[in-house]
Amino acid sequence: MYKQCKNIDNSIADCVIRIEDGACIPFSLGNTDYQAYLKWLEAGNTPLPAENN
Amino acid sequence: MAYGTVNTDIVSDSSGGRLAPISSVMRNRIINGAMVIDQRNAGASVTPTTVGAYTYSSVDRLWYLISQSSKFTIQQNAGAITPPNGFFNYVGVTSSAATSVGSGDYFWIGQSIEGFNTSDFSWGTANAKTVTLSAWVYSSLTGTFGGSLYNSASNYFYPFTYTISSANTWTQISITVTGPTSGTWVGATNGVGVRVLFNLGAGSTLSGTAGSWASGSAYAPTGAVNVVSTNGATFYITGVQLEVGSSATGFEYRQYGQELALCQRYYFKVSGSNAPNATWGSGKMTSTTNAGIHAVHPAPMRDLPTWSYGGTVVVEGTSGFAISAIAVTYSSYIATRLGLTISGATAGQGAFATVGSTSSDYIQASAEL
Repeated sequence: MYKQCKNIDNSIADCVIRIEDGACIPFSLGNTDYQAYLKWLEAGNTPLPAENN
Repeated sequence: MAYGTVNTDIVSDSSGGRLAPISSVMRNRIINGAMVIDQRNAGASVTPTTVGAYTYSSVDRLWYLISQSSKFTIQQNAGAITPPNGFFNYVGVTSSAATSVGSGDYFWIGQSIEGFNTSDFSWGTANAKTVTLSAWVYSSLTGTFGGSLYNSASNYFYPFTYTISSANTWTQISITVTGPTSGTWVGATNGVGVRVLFNLGAGSTLSGTAGSWASGSAYAPTGAVNVVSTNGATFYITGVQLEVGSSATGFEYRQYGQELALCQRYYFKVSGSNAPNATWGSGKMTSTTNAGIHAVHPAPMRDLPTWSYGGTVVVEGTSGFAISAIAVTYSSYIATRLGLTISGATAGQGAFATVGSTSSDYIQASAEL
């Protein structure tokens, strides 16, 4: 399960939070955690919305 | 004084014998092959629980890949035996049960080598180079063990075997592998160049004939010893080396700082056990609830890293504020700007980030393969 991230100005950030451990994953195709996130999306899942700062 | 020119990549003596190369820089493509660096656990035992994904939880650069959780433990210097002469560390696997290995089960450890460090192999071309894998192994079991080399797509494999004849005795093994002229290999990129796998248990559908390259899913040789099938069985390994050539040479020792820096291209951790209240970044309070912290990576990382933390991580201004979340604001291979969620700060104040004072207090960044 993942949750979107927001920047300080509350815009959507180019990263996502992996809820199980709170890890912040940048949107970079070479990052294997991001690759796992993309597979999760392909499986039809949707991340939780980000919380406002 | 005139200087000569060396036009060959092989230096031979007058009787045709090959001389040892003057430089051994990066002869060994395995990182942390002597199992010296253990940033994540500092030697503590780990029980692998994550199923179906390459997972890093033991000594640096070593992954596990399993189909059932909690069937073995893994630890730097498990069992506290004497390592082979010249080594001071090893990694040890201890089976936690007599696990029945089904046809699709797998229990593996290994390392993924970055394409930039294997591109000279020229695998998948007519110029594919022969390589030799060597290591020291030790087990409470005897028999034919195995593993494999395979590509990034996990569809082209070379299963190999090796023999441990004497239980509880360090045995040096060497496997020479003719370079594959087929298969898809990533070349000089930051992706997976080659994966090196040591089998602890593999089902029949994931096994194949040893000693040749083939498409499919032969992660292990058919009939190899399944360590996980014997409760309490051990498998220890160190001195792992993968090098170009048709014979194994002596293990390439690296200075500690050099090996650590190689590991930190893929993962680094700042922990309270390294230095209590260690500083790892600085910046300012951007609001009452957020601090912008710039953290420089100790080595240029393979890719933009994933960040996480555990225990107490504090942003220090005029007082300390424990963080409750972490977000990547900007990132590059050499540094990251993080947004840390705090409470009660004063916007505009200078800030620096620290960890607490125990091994449970840490910040880490991972760009593993």
